[in-house]
Amino acid sequence: MATAPLQVYSFYIFDRHTECIYSKRWTTPPPSNPSAQSQRPSLPNGTAATNIASKRATKDDNDAKLIFGTIFSLRRMVRQLGGQDDLFLSYRTGEYKLHYFETPTQLKFVLLTDTRVGSMRTVLHQIWATLYVEYVVKSPLAPLEHRKGEGVANELFEGGLESFMRSIFSIPQ
Amino acid sequence: MSGPPQVPPKEANHAPIPQAKPFVSSLRYPSSRKTIYDRNLNRTKTTEISLASFSYLFNSLITYHHAKSGSVSEIETRLNRAAYPIGIKMLDLLLYRQPSRTAARPTRMLDLLQFIHGTLWRALFNRSASALEQSNTKKNEYMIIDNEPLVNTFISIPKEMSQLNCAAFIAGIIEGMCDAAGFSTDGVTAHWAGEGDEMWPGKTIFLLRFKDSVVEREEAIKAGGG
Amino acid sequence: MVVFALLIINKAGGLIYNRTFAPGLQKLDSNDYLILAGTFHGIHAISRSINPAPPAQPPPGNRKPPTTGIESLESSHFRLTCYQTPTGVKFLLFTSPEQPNTELVIRRCYEIYGDFVMKNPFYSMEMPIRVEKFDRALGGYLVRPS
Repeated sequence: MATAPLQVYSFYIFDRHTECIYSKRWTTPPPSNPSAQSQRPSLPNGTAATNIASKRATKDDNDAKLIFGTIFSLRRMVRQLGGQDDLFLSYRTGEYKLHYFETPTQLKFVLLTDTRVGSMRTVLHQIWATLYVEYVVKSPLAPLEHRKGEGVANELFEGGLESFMRSIFSIPQ
Repeated sequence: MSGPPQVPPKEANHAPIPQAKPFVSSLRYPSSRKTIYDRNLNRTKTTEISLASFSYLFNSLITYHHAKSGSVSEIETRLNRAAYPIGIKMLDLLLYRQPSRTAARPTRMLDLLQFIHGTLWRALFNRSASALEQSNTKKNEYMIIDNEPLVNTFISIPKEMSQLNCAAFIAGIIEGMCDAAGFSTDGVTAHWAGEGDEMWPGKTIFLLRFKDSVVEREEAIKAGGG
Repeated sequence: MVVFALLIINKAGGLIYNRTFAPGLQKLDSNDYLILAGTFHGIHAISRSINPAPPAQPPPGNRKPPTTGIESLESSHFRLTCYQTPTGVKFLLFTSPEQPNTELVIRRCYEIYGDFVMKNPFYSMEMPIRVEKFDRALGGYLVRPS
C-alpha cells in the first residue's frame, strides 16, 4: 500500500436536470493562498474577509458547474468513441483524480481524490445505495425533486458520508 | 585605443546623435584563450557531431533555398552550390590528415572515385558509400550509390515535388572535390533509385559526369603506361 | 499490445494528425474527429482550473505551480493517455484498458514526431501532418504483426 495516507478532496452529486444537488469539500483549494493574502496590505474597510468568503462561495459554485460540464462532455466523448454501452469511469491529472459513477436514474456521483487512489466505483455505488437511497430517497421529508439541493444535505446523510469517507481516507480534523 | 567616447553637449532642440560603437568582435574566447582557429585540425578527426543539430541546420538551409527557388531543379542547384566549397576544403583537410608518406592527391580517375567512395564518406558519415559503378554506355559517367543518405534521414518529400532529392547537397560536395582535384565535371547530381525497393526506399545515385578533356587525359596517361 | 488510435492536437486545439492502428473504437467521420479534438482541448484546460488539491509545497519564486490537465482517462472500453508537450501540442493515445506503460508508448510517439515531423523542412508548423517517414516510423512502432 501507499506510504502516505490517501486523501479525498471533494464530492458532488448532480441530478438529471444538470443541477448540483450536493457538494462537499474537504480541502481548501490552491487559489486561497493564506500567505499571499496576509502579505497584501489590509483593505481600508473591513470588507476583505467577507469578499474572500463570497469569492470562495462563487468559486465553489463555478467549480461545480465546470465539473458538470467536464463530465458531461467526457461522457459524450466516451460514448462516441467506445459505443453506446461504454461508460466513463475516471480521469487523472498530475494533481488529482476524478471518479465518476452514474445511476440508471441519471444521478451523477463525482469524487475527487489524490492521484494514487484506485477505482472508486464500488465506493460511489455504496454511497448511492446505502446512504443516498436510505437517507435521502426514503426520507419522508425529502421532496421528489431536489431543487437547489433541498432535502439532500440532511443530518443522517452528511453524518453517514463523513464517517464512510473517514473509514477510507485520511481527513484532517 | 581611443579615449572615452565624447558626449556632445546637450542642446534643448537637438537630440544627440549617438556615436558609432567601436567594433567589438563577437568571437567568444574559451577560458584557455584558444579559439577554434587555434585548434589542431586533427583534433576533431574522430569526434562526432549531433545528428539532431545537423538536421535542424540542414532543415533551415533547405527552407531558405526552398523559399528562394521557383522549381525543384533550382533548389537542387542551390543546395549543390552551398556544398561546393565544402568539397574543395574537404580534399585539403583529408589529405592533410592522412599519414604523410601516403598523402598524395589522387591523380587517376579511379583513385579519386575510391577516395570519394571511401575516405570522404568515412570522414562525413563514418562508413563508406554502398557502391561504386561505371556507366555501361557512357565512359565519362560514374555512379556512387548510397542506400540511405544520412542527410535525408528525417526528410520526407511532399508529393508535388517528388523528384527533389536533398542529397544534392552531397552531390555538391563531390563536385567541389572533383574540381579541386583537377577533374572538372559537367556536374554531379543526385537521383532517387529506391522506388519500389522495400529494403532501401531512400536509395540515391550520385551521377558524376566528367568532362571529355578529363577522359582524354586519363586515356593518354593510360596509353603512356602511367 | 493493442493501440487503437493516435491523435495529435496543436496548441490552438486543431486536430493535425489522426490515425487508427487497430479496430476497437467506433468509426467517426473526419468532422466528428475535429469536433472531438476541440472539445477535448477545452476540457483539458478546464481540468486544470478545477484542481482541488492543495499545493504540495510553495514553489520557488512567484511562479504558479504547474498543473498538468488530464493525463489519462479510463472508460470501460478503452484508456486514453494524453501527453502535453512543453510547447502545447497534445498527443492522445487510445489503447485497450489493460495496456501497460502507455506513458512510455506516448513518449516514444513524441520522439518520432520530434524526429520526422519537426526536423522535416517541408512541414509547416501547426498544419495537418502529412509526412511519409512519420507515418512509416509510427506504423513500424505501433502496428505489431499479430
